[in-house]
Amino acid sequence: MTELLRLPAEQAYASELETLARGDEGQKPEGWKLSPRAVLTYLLGGKAADGTVISPKYVGSRRLMETAVATLATDRALLLLGVPGTAKSWVSEHLAAAIAGDSTLLIQCTAGTDENQIRYGWNYAQLLAQGPSEAALVETPLLRAMRGGSLCRLEELTRMGSDVQDTLITVLSEKMLPIPELNTAVFARRGFNVIATANNRDKGVNELSSALKRRFNVVVLPLPTDMAEEVEIVVKRVGETAAHLDLPVPRNVREEITRMLTIFRELRAGATADQKITLKTPSSTLSTAEAIATLVGGLSQAAWFNEGRLGAGELAASMVGAIVKDPVQDKAVLEEYLETVLKKRDDYSAYYTALNEAL
Amino acid sequence: MRADAGVHFFGIRHHGPGSAACLVQALEALQPAAVLIEGPADATPILPMLAAPGMKPPVALLCYPKDDPARAGFWPFAEFSPEYQAVLWAVAHAVPVSFIDLPSTARQPEKKAEAAAGKESEAEDGAEGAAENEAENPHAQHEEAPPREYLDPLGVLAEAAGYQDGESWWSDLIEHNPAPGPVFEAIAEAMAALRENLAETPEFEALREAHMRRAIAAARKEQEGPLAVVCGAWHVPALAAASAATRKADQARLKGLPREKSAVTWAPWTSPRLARDGYGAGVAAPGWNLHLWRGAGARQDGNSLWLVRIAHVLREQGYLVSTASLIEAERLAQALAAIRERPRAGFEELREAAIACLFGGESLLWERIEATLLLGNDVGEIPPDVPLAPLIEDLQRQQKATRLKAEALPQELSLDLRSESGLARSTLLHRLDLLGVPWGRAQDAGGSRGTFRERWQLAWEPEFAVRLVEHLVHGPTIAQAAAGCLLEQIRAATTLDQMAESIRAAITANLPEAAAEGLRLFEARAAHSDNCPEMLASIPPLADIIRYGEARATAAAQHLAPLLERLIVEAALKLDYAARSLDAEAAAQLAAQIDAAHTGIRLIEAGEEILAAWMQGLAAVLDDEQGTPSLAGTAARLLYGAGRLAPEAAVTLMGRRLSPGVPVADAASFLEGFFHATATLLIHDAALRQAVDLWITHLEEADFITSLPLLRRVFSALDQSERKRLLAAALGQSAAVSSLLRPAPDGGAGWQAHFAMLATLLAEEHARKNDE
Repeated sequence: MTELLRLPAEQAYASELETLARGDEGQKPEGWKLSPRAVLTYLLGGKAADGTVISPKYVGSRRLMETAVATLATDRALLLLGVPGTAKSWVSEHLAAAIAGDSTLLIQCTAGTDENQIRYGWNYAQLLAQGPSEAALVETPLLRAMRGGSLCRLEELTRMGSDVQDTLITVLSEKMLPIPELNTAVFARRGFNVIATANNRDKGVNELSSALKRRFNVVVLPLPTDMAEEVEIVVKRVGETAAHLDLPVPRNVREEITRMLTIFRELRAGATADQKITLKTPSSTLSTAEAIATLVGGLSQAAWFNEGRLGAGELAASMVGAIVKDPVQDKAVLEEYLETVLKKRDDYSAYYTALNEAL
Repeated sequence: MRADAGVHFFGIRHHGPGSAACLVQALEALQPAAVLIEGPADATPILPMLAAPGMKPPVALLCYPKDDPARAGFWPFAEFSPEYQAVLWAVAHAVPVSFIDLPSTARQPEKKAEAAAGKESEAEDGAEGAAENEAENPHAQHEEAPPREYLDPLGVLAEAAGYQDGESWWSDLIEHNPAPGPVFEAIAEAMAALRENLAETPEFEALREAHMRRAIAAARKEQEGPLAVVCGAWHVPALAAASAATRKADQARLKGLPREKSAVTWAPWTSPRLARDGYGAGVAAPGWNLHLWRGAGARQDGNSLWLVRIAHVLREQGYLVSTASLIEAERLAQALAAIRERPRAGFEELREAAIACLFGGESLLWERIEATLLLGNDVGEIPPDVPLAPLIEDLQRQQKATRLKAEALPQELSLDLRSESGLARSTLLHRLDLLGVPWGRAQDAGGSRGTFRERWQLAWEPEFAVRLVEHLVHGPTIAQAAAGCLLEQIRAATTLDQMAESIRAAITANLPEAAAEGLRLFEARAAHSDNCPEMLASIPPLADIIRYGEARATAAAQHLAPLLERLIVEAALKLDYAARSLDAEAAAQLAAQIDAAHTGIRLIEAGEEILAAWMQGLAAVLDDEQGTPSLAGTAARLLYGAGRLAPEAAVTLMGRRLSPGVPVADAASFLEGFFHATATLLIHDAALRQAVDLWITHLEEADFITSLPLLRRVFSALDQSERKRLLAAALGQSAAVSSLLRPAPDGGAGWQAHFAMLATLLAEEHARKNDE
C-alpha cells in the first residue's frame, strides 16, 4: 500500500483506465489516451470491452458529461460551473486522468494569483546571471500542458481577479503563448486543452470576464435532484467527517438530516416537497456541502455542550446562518416559510420554535 | 403486390416533416389515380377546402355530432403534416382525395358520458390525442393496459437500435434521411415484423382498420389507376393484408356501427396548441418541425440556420450573442453527434450545444426562450365560406334549452339562482359576457353577489355572432370557448388582483376547470410576489368567492380557503414595509385596499390564527416608526373597531399621536386615517373626542389654517344633523345632564352602568331638541 494520503485519479484508478484502454477500439482525438466513448464509460461507470466492471465516478446526468467530453474533443476549453459541492473538481480531475492520463497539471486560482503563475515566471538568479533565456524561464502547469499536448486544470477560476483571468484569452483562442522577452512564442501541441471550474453563487468571487466566457463552453453541474440520493450523500459524508473529528454520531442523525434537508431542499427549490405550495428562495445556495457543514456544526455543539443529544435546538443557529445570507431579504423569506409552511407541520414543531428563536 | 396499378401504402409519422417531404416526392413519382388518407370519413366532402386560397395552416378539422358540440373532436393539420401535403398534392393534380377512417361519430361512443360529467376539455383532448398519434396512442376506451409494443412501437424499435427514445431514432431514419423510395417499404417491413410478435389488436383499432380496408376496397372498384394510401406507419401491415377472408370479417365487425348525423367544419388553430407534452403525443416542437419542413432540414446549412434563429430570439431579448459563438455551437453539436454515433446533429445536440456555448451553461435561459422558439405563435386562418360555426349552433341550442330568445329590443330579466333554470340562464349570460358578447348586462353589478337574485337587461346585437366565431379557436362550445378565453386572460394578467378577478369571473360563469387552472397560476404567482398592495387587492374577490360561492356550487372554492389564508398571512407580514414613506395619493390608495381586505377577511370569518396574523400586521403598521401617519391611523381604526385596541389604549394613542411634539401635518393625517368614514365615533366617544379637541384647541392659528382642508375631509363624512350634534358635544352641552342626576350610592355597579348609558341617551335627546 502507499504511504500517500491520497493518490491522483490516474493512479487510484490505474487498473480501470488500463482495462478501458486495452479494449478501446473507438477513434481517438489527437493526444487522447482514450476514445470519447471510453472516457464516458470511465466517468459514468459501465463495462469495459472485456467485461470488467467500471465504477461510476459521477452520478448524474449523462447528457452533461457527453457535452463536457464533446467540448474537449473540439479543442474548445471547458468550464464546469456550479454551486459548491456539486463535484466540479472531482469531474475535472477524472476527465484529465482519463483523457490525458495526468490530472496533476493544476493551477489553484486565488485572489493572490498573478500572471506569472499562469503564463511563466523567471528564475531570477539565472536571469541576472545570463539575461533572458529559455533556461531562466520557469514553466507553469499551463505552459507545460501546452508543450506536452496535455490537459491543464484551473481550479476556482473566478477567485482570481478578472484582469489576471484575461491572461488566458490568447491561449484559449490562438492556442499559443507569446514570450516577448525571448522574442518567441510557445505553440500548443495537439491534445492541449483547459478545464476550469468556477463557483456561480458563492460570495467573494470575481465576475468571469465576458471575453473569457465566450471562449469557454460552459457545463453547469446541478445539485442532486433526488431527495433519497442527497440524504445518502449527506449521511455518508457526515459520518466520515464526524469520525475524522472524533465526534460521536447520535442514533437519530438520519431523521434530523432528513428534516433539515427537507427544509433546505424546499427553500432551494422554491416549492414544498409535495409541490402544493410555491415558495420564495433565499439568496443562499443551500448546497449539499452546506447541509453537511451545518450538520457537522450541530453535531459538534451536541457533543460538547449537550451531552451528545442532537435536536432542532443544536441545528437551528447554524441553519439560520446557512439560510440567511442577506439580513433583510432572506430573513423575510425564512419568516414567511416558517409561518406559512413549517407552522402547520406537527413533526417540525421543534424546528419551528428553534428557528424562530434563532431569528 | 406493388404493381404499378395496385394499392400503394405510405406509412407516415403524423406531423413528421421528413415523412411529408418523402411523401410528396413519392406521390409525384407514382402519380396515383386517387389519394386515400387516414382521417374521419365523414369529413371527406370538405377536404378539398384545405387547398383553398384563404386556408392557412395550422387549422383543425372539427367534427361533432350535430346535436352535441361538446363531444367535438379536433384533427389539427400543420403545414408540415403529411396528410395536409397529400391533400394539397391531390387537389393540385385534380385527383380525388378522401378520408377512410371511421366516421367521427363512430369513434366517440363513450364521450357522451364524459361530456355529461362535465369533462368537456378532456373529451376534446382525447380526440386530439387519438388523431395526432394513433399509432402510439390507443384510444382511451381500452381499460386493460395494452403491451408496451403497442403503446410505443417506435420506442421498441428504437431501443433495439440503441437509442434512448423513439423520437430521435425516427428523426435520424426519416427526417434526416431525405433519400426517397425504399423508405416506405422499409417502414412497412419493420412494422410488419413488430406486429407479428404482438397478440391481438385491440378492438377499437381493429374496427378502424376494418373500416379503412373496406374503404380502400371500395375505392379500388371505382378507380382504375394506382391508389395511394396515406396512414400512420403502424397501420400499414394490417391494411396491406386485405384479402377475401378479411373482407368477410370486416363486414361482420362493422355491422351495427352507431350512425349519428355529424357536422364537420374547419377551425383556425394555433401552433402552441399543436404542441403537446411528453412522448407519443404528436408534435413536441412545431417550430422545429416547421424549420425542418421549410427545406432547411435537407440543406447542408440547416443546423446553422437553426442556431441563427436561436441567436435572433436571444438578441431580441437583449442578450449578446456573437457569430463566433454560433460557430463554436455548431462544432460542439457535431462533436456531440459523433459521440452519440448519430449520422448528424439533431434537435437535442443543437439544444445542448446552444446551452453550453450561447447560454453560458444555463438551461434556465433556454427554457425562457423555448416557447418562442419551439412553439412559435402562428395562428391559422380559414376562408370565409367555411360551413357554419359550431359556437353559434351551440348558442342556438342553449337558447332553446334555457328558453331565452335573442331579441334586439332591450328586455328585463330577473333570475333566481336557487332554481335550476335561473342558474342555467345566469351561467349562459356570464359565459357570453366573457366571450365579449354582452347580450345581457347585469343591472346591479357588484351588489348582486350576496343574494340569490340577479337582474339582467337583454339586448341582442347582430355583430355578436361575428364575435362568437372569432372565439372558435378557444373551443367548439360556449363553455369551452369561455374557459379558454378566460385562461388566456389569466395567463396574460400582470397583477395578482387581475388574476383574482378573472378567477371570480370563472366561478361566476361556472367554469370549474378554468377556475382551478387559474388558481394554480395564481398560487404560483402569489408565492413569488413581493407586492403587498397586489396581495391586498386580490383578497376581496377571493373572499367573495368563498363567502358567496354557495350560490353556485363550486369545487374550486374548497381549495381556495387555504390559499387565501396564506395570502392574508403573507400580506400581513409585508404590511409594515408596504406602508412606509408613501405620499398622500399612494397612502390613500393603500388605505382603501387595506379597508377592502379587512372587510374581506371579516367576510370569510377567518380562523383565530389568521385573524391574529392580520391584526399583528395592522399593529406593525401602527407601531412602525417610519410608517405613513395616515396609514397608522387606518390601522388604529381597524384595530379599535375589531376590539383589538382597548378604549383606554385608543385614547392614550390618540393623545400621543396628537401631542404637541408631533408635526402638525403628521398628526392631521393620522387623524384623517383614523376617522376616515367613521367620524360619528367622535359624537359617541367622549374620551376620543376630548383628545382630538385638546389637540385642535392647542393648534397655532397658522397651523390650524394649514390643516383645515384635512379636517374638512374628516368631518365632511358627517351629515348636517351629525355635525350639529358633534358641535354640541364638543361645546360641552351634554355635560349638563349629569349635574342634576346623581346615582344612588348604594345602587351597585349595575346601576352605575345603566346610569352612564342613560346619561348618553339623554344628552342625545337634548342635542336633537336643540336641532329643532
